[in-house]
Amino acid sequence: MKVLFYIAALLAGAALSVEGALYAILGESIGKLESSLYNFVVGTIILGIALLFWGKGTLSYTVKAPKWQLTGGLLGIIYLTVLVIGIPLIGVGLAMSSVVVGQLVMSMIIEHKGWLGSPMVKVRPEKIIAVFLMLVSIFLIY
Amino acid sequence: MSIFILIASLIGGVLLSAQSSVNGSFSSKAGTLESAFLTFITGGMMLFIIVLFFGTGNFLSFLEAPGWQLSAVWFGVGYLFLTILTVPKIGVIAANLSAIIGQLSTGMLIDNFGWFGGMQISFDLKRLLALGLMLIALWLIYQANIKDRKQALEAT
Repeated sequence: MKVLFYIAALLAGAALSVEGALYAILGESIGKLESSLYNFVVGTIILGIALLFWGKGTLSYTVKAPKWQLTGGLLGIIYLTVLVIGIPLIGVGLAMSSVVVGQLVMSMIIEHKGWLGSPMVKVRPEKIIAVFLMLVSIFLIY
Repeated sequence: MSIFILIASLIGGVLLSAQSSVNGSFSSKAGTLESAFLTFITGGMMLFIIVLFFGTGNFLSFLEAPGWQLSAVWFGVGYLFLTILTVPKIGVIAANLSAIIGQLSTGMLIDNFGWFGGMQISFDLKRLLALGLMLIALWLIYQANIKDRKQALEAT
């Protein structure tokens, strides 16, 4: 039974690559920034509907939350726009590999320092080796 | 040229990781769907202003774009939905690392066949080796994370 959830998690990641490839091609016809904008406008509509029916939390926390907790959207648009511009130039494989490496290294730093409300977890030597292997991997694809 | 794109993508990943921490803090108080909604609506508002002043394309021409290209938004939403589904069942560490494996292998698959009208880059020995190294790295991270979690449990 549990294996189904592992497959679902694999598919979730696969969806990210397909999403990137599709927005890259959409960006070639309607414009890069416009392709990102399309994602955020239609995504807002879909999530707005989902929220109406299945929202169990408190959206009103938005007005009380510390301002840094509201920067997710800004970070998201930079990420997506970089992919839309980058994928046609370097391909999906390399773009996704570098995104993943950036992501993993940054999470290690965030945890090590205990930034952004994350509990402090010191970096282990295994992770340093992992970062080195990932950089070699990027170099091989590049 | 492509070295700049590579660095930009690395920074994209750095920002994505920061986003997941920021949204994690917000969603612990407000809820998962609420956090995703806030990300999309604020991102949309900011991009709207940016496109208004710096957009060189034609936003409204998305109305004439083929449906398969527009379906991209469902893959993004699908990722969110599957993540919400899998994290409570297999844990955040396993869910994230499995997603990365899916993401990298699909990326190389798309390149190999040149799917969705993108450039075609064949899957060769170098890429196989790169994928292998990436898997070993992910396995090391997984082991380290399991140790961290055990230590955190012992501490409490």
